[in-house]
Amino acid sequence: MSSLYDFLETNSMYVVLFIVLIIWIGIFGYMWKIDRKLNKLEEDYK
Amino acid sequence: MNKAFKILVFILITFVIIAGIILPIPNIPALGDKARVLYFHVPMSWISVLAFFMSMWYSIRYLKTKSIDYDIKSFSSAQLGFLFCILATATGSLWAKFNWGSFWNWDPRQTSIFVLLMIYGAYFALRSAIDTPEQKAKLSSVYSIIAAVTVPFFVFIMPRIVESLHPDPIINTQGKINMDRNMLIVFLTSLAGFTLLFLWVLNIKVRQEKLFIKKQGV
Repeated sequence: MSSLYDFLETNSMYVVLFIVLIIWIGIFGYMWKIDRKLNKLEEDYK
Repeated sequence: MNKAFKILVFILITFVIIAGIILPIPNIPALGDKARVLYFHVPMSWISVLAFFMSMWYSIRYLKTKSIDYDIKSFSSAQLGFLFCILATATGSLWAKFNWGSFWNWDPRQTSIFVLLMIYGAYFALRSAIDTPEQKAKLSSVYSIIAAVTVPFFVFIMPRIVESLHPDPIINTQGKINMDRNMLIVFLTSLAGFTLLFLWVLNIKVRQEKLFIKKQGV
């Protein structure tokens, strides 16, 4: 764990990468959920 | 949208984020690492153009068929086009602060995108000012067609004929692409990934609007 910390401390670009990836995964997951919810609503309104 | 489509969107954009941030790029004078903004900023601009043209296409379809579905698609496309246009402006402006020294300096690129935002802002004002759904659809369809005609001028023509600080367009005035091969691969993947993402969001938006209309009718 401490070696990962050292790596990130010396390669700050990877910290940015992790931050952007977390944001993207969060947005993607949220959109996936909305899509599924819409599917259910469409079934109800059929 | 099926599962495979969504997974493809995830893979493409995740690749662009990783490769865009980590992959080394050649030293570009006056830009340096800031050139990486191209992977994210240019697709925003491209999608707004695509969305405005799709809005025009659906408007034409609406005027031909009078099917409200096309009006929903046209409106949703224009709305997303507007959103991506704002994202292109904001990301470009942030980049400009560190490359040109100020967030906004009325560069031809900035002026043209500002006018484009005004034109489409008026489209939404027009829509919200009309109560009758048929009249709203008809008038905004006509407006959307006229508005889309101005898009190529503001996005492709004006920045190429007026002196600008903005880096060369991807396809320069000689009609050539001057880009490192690795950068080009990441850039094209980015264009594809964000375009698919746009189509997914558009699909969600259209379905939501249809459900809203259905609910109102119940």
